[in-house]
Amino acid sequence: MIILFIGVLPSSLYGQDEKIAPVTGTYAITNVNITQAPGRTIQLGTVVVKDGMITAVGKSVSIPADAKIIKADSMYLYAGFIDGLSHVGVDMPKEEEDQDVDDPSNPPNDIAGIQPDRDVRGLLNPSDKSVDDWRKLGFTAAHVVPEGRMLPGSGAIVLLSGDTPDEMVYRSGTSLFSQLRGASGIYPNTVIGVMAKYRDLYRNASYAKSYKQRYEQDGAGMERPVSDRVLEAFYPVIDKRIPVAFKAESVLDIQRVFILKNDLGFNLMLGEVKQGWDVIDKIKNANASVFLSLELPELKEEKEKDSTDTDEGDTKKELTAAEEEQQRLDARKKEMILNHYKQPALFTANGVKFGFSTLEAKSKDIKSNLSKMVANGLSEDAALTALTTAPAQLLGLSNTMGTVDAGKIANLVISDKPYFDEKSNVKMVFVDGKLFEYDDKPKKKKSDGEDIDPKGSWSYSTETPQGTTTGTLKITGEAGDYSGEMTNSQTGETTSISDIAISGTSMTYSFQINAGGNMLSISVSVTIDGETFDGTMTVGSYGSFPVEGERIPEQ
Amino acid sequence: MKNNITLILALLLAFAASAQQKGDVLIKNGTVLTITNGDLAETDVLIRDGKISKIGKGLKAPSGAKTIDATGMYVMPGIIDAHSHIALDAVNEATSPVTAEVFTGDAVDPLDVSIYRALAGGVTTSHAMHGSANAVGGQCETIKHRYGTVDPEALKMKGAPRTIKFALGENPTRVHGAGNNMVPRTRMGVEAVFRNSFSEAQEYMAAWNEYNANKSKKGFKGAPPKYDLRLETLADILKGEIIIHCHSYRADEIYMLMQVCKDFGIKRLVFQHVNEGFKVAPELAEFGAGASVFADWWAYKFEVYYSTAYNATILSENGVVTSINSDSGELIRHLYHEAAKTQKYGGLTDKDALSMITINPAKQLGIEDRVGSIEEGKEGDIAIFNNHPLSIYAIPMYTIIDGVLQFDRQNDQDDMRIYVNPEEKIDVTFSQNDHTVDRCMQGTEFLFKN
Repeated sequence: MIILFIGVLPSSLYGQDEKIAPVTGTYAITNVNITQAPGRTIQLGTVVVKDGMITAVGKSVSIPADAKIIKADSMYLYAGFIDGLSHVGVDMPKEEEDQDVDDPSNPPNDIAGIQPDRDVRGLLNPSDKSVDDWRKLGFTAAHVVPEGRMLPGSGAIVLLSGDTPDEMVYRSGTSLFSQLRGASGIYPNTVIGVMAKYRDLYRNASYAKSYKQRYEQDGAGMERPVSDRVLEAFYPVIDKRIPVAFKAESVLDIQRVFILKNDLGFNLMLGEVKQGWDVIDKIKNANASVFLSLELPELKEEKEKDSTDTDEGDTKKELTAAEEEQQRLDARKKEMILNHYKQPALFTANGVKFGFSTLEAKSKDIKSNLSKMVANGLSEDAALTALTTAPAQLLGLSNTMGTVDAGKIANLVISDKPYFDEKSNVKMVFVDGKLFEYDDKPKKKKSDGEDIDPKGSWSYSTETPQGTTTGTLKITGEAGDYSGEMTNSQTGETTSISDIAISGTSMTYSFQINAGGNMLSISVSVTIDGETFDGTMTVGSYGSFPVEGERIPEQ
Repeated sequence: MKNNITLILALLLAFAASAQQKGDVLIKNGTVLTITNGDLAETDVLIRDGKISKIGKGLKAPSGAKTIDATGMYVMPGIIDAHSHIALDAVNEATSPVTAEVFTGDAVDPLDVSIYRALAGGVTTSHAMHGSANAVGGQCETIKHRYGTVDPEALKMKGAPRTIKFALGENPTRVHGAGNNMVPRTRMGVEAVFRNSFSEAQEYMAAWNEYNANKSKKGFKGAPPKYDLRLETLADILKGEIIIHCHSYRADEIYMLMQVCKDFGIKRLVFQHVNEGFKVAPELAEFGAGASVFADWWAYKFEVYYSTAYNATILSENGVVTSINSDSGELIRHLYHEAAKTQKYGGLTDKDALSMITINPAKQLGIEDRVGSIEEGKEGDIAIFNNHPLSIYAIPMYTIIDGVLQFDRQNDQDDMRIYVNPEEKIDVTFSQNDHTVDRCMQGTEFLFKN
């Protein structure tokens, strides 16, 4: 979604990226509270940065003559954060909608989502908005991977600065990114298809690799091995030179990845883990590097009923059976959400080293989600570890990143209050020795809880196993009495939508479609964020699918 | 309120801890329907370390063992469903007419509350099958209903033979022929898909045999044949390592598949649904093929009109190993009623009727030496009813797997979900009718083009 808006913004907004060489590459950040590494602090010291490196850290260090002095009086300085698995700065070409294939049982690899030979370097865009969004949060480096389906491509470690993709790249070919996500309407479509195809490809690659070795030793009289980029992409994995970075959010997907690991024997990096609390032992046994998701489900605290404010007891109503049922279900849901919040603390308590990943997280939620994790038992030191030293170790970057020590790359984040303080603001970020400064952002004028007005036309798209459906959603009427209709690219029909309800920024509505004679009820729940929305669509017992949309400007 | 929730959570945790455990239980003084060795009045069954260790009178409970007083109750082997799609996250990889390489064992969902509902109907084992969208579907997993764990491995019945789903008739021809203009478009096409697949598998096996025989010879220069998981699986069928379970309705096609199997030397074959099985019952018996049928369900598509509720009895009386299955998360809760229908339609004996949901499906799944009857040495999977299970007044009271109590009617909580959706919208007035959903063809709707 974010990507779509870049084209319409005037380039002058990116003034700070204009190519004027900085006066000096040497900085001295003085009078700052330094956390060199979790648990290792210097109060009111100085950090010297020169030529992209940290050259000195301490209470009394000599400041070079050419240094620009940054008086970070009483601010807080940390090592730049490292995002363990991310799409930051990755600018995917727009996917063509449901391409027709001659034979859905044997589609071309790229359409089937089998592109392990693709290199994320070819997809990097240093001016992608996400790069600055992530930097503003304190991230200075990331392990980035392409988007896609089953095998989207190979990952790279990048620094979140630079004018060209190559300038961003710190190390390439670091992982083979994989997902249990099937192709739309073609083979492999389901999780069972993906897992079978994964085994087939991996074993084929093993055979091809050993035949190639034999051929290279003494090829005379042997059939020439045919080059195959897809299979060759597995070779470094088979040699255990790089891990498979597998996205696995749910407790079931995590265990499915373990099945594949057991069958095939690759080194595993688990990313975007959301529900790992019940499988910590399995994660330990698999010897997997873990990156926990920075996306959390939202806990909507029920507004206190008026009756509880007034005299209790007298006004207390007998609850109906349905209300009691509702309470029980709400309590279980809350318990489940809190499990997500407590997960990082639980991993720490169990001695599992982890970093964070952001394949799903939105930049606007990341800082508050970190606060939620800290509020639910994760110590600030452990949180900082997961943002700095742990990902550095898990990604093999400890020599050059992860702490504030002389000799390391000058990746630093400076905030006005301790970073995990809810009211803290990131004021400066150094990436690769380059300084990025941030002003306090003006608070958006938005009164709390005011209902948003969804009136107008929206384009939407949704993805189900049947493929991508797009169309237009048109909402008319007034608050409390909205009505609407929608078009559907799959059926070509216009359907009226009903039960449109708005609460704050969330909108729900429902509609029916005719599926082979059966009327299917579909309910949609989305959150509107300015001119875009996203959320989920629930289709009876078939499950929930993502929906997103954006407002069509009025002519 | 809070206490209630804590209690439920504590119970769930207790269940979680019990996953794949083996327990000790003494069931006292019930009427034991052994299935293979008659009915025993006022008899005790002792399960130790997950296995039935003794059947007799006046047995003593070892220390620590749970005792269930079954006085006035009926104790039968845990019910087995030879055709189900519960506890699966994916049922159909429908994109190709042949998907032998896929495996529902990869998609086992231990969080599916249908497992608990099945337990509440006395069902301890089910055959979690691939769907019927393709002529050669995927491999299936035999699961035990050890509900209360997040670990899919804990559900798998380790050591049970491998099985695979095949399909005849309208489903595969609609999906691939009518939907995508591929073979099979007709019933003849389905046969061609089988024969082509098995022929390819024979060539594949021969090529690998030749390669393996020569590869260690000095100076060998040959390349290995291209590895193909699909053909590997088909070759395993030819080697007799996988039992075919074939979705079928019409007699002509049932006969056709038996001919195909004869031609390729395949002996392990079970037909599913088999609505016209009564027309070819002697042929099925002669081949040694099993039949797993609905008690009285038909007319949901054209090829399923010629049907009779006497099907199970006719097959059984002709010597075909016959079972009654659910293919549904609803029917699975009362398979004992379904079995009882064979007494109204055909007058089967109690033993033969109950065999349809115990030892016979066990034979069809190749697990009859482990479950399906109450015998010393077999696994401790038991269903206990307040009345005779073939009575319309029968209510399942306890369900036990491997000596672990998995369902206890007196202790049956409302909300037995293990994980709840953190983003679910809770609306207690919302209800959902699952019964119209035919999971056999789940996920294939997009392939139907008019």
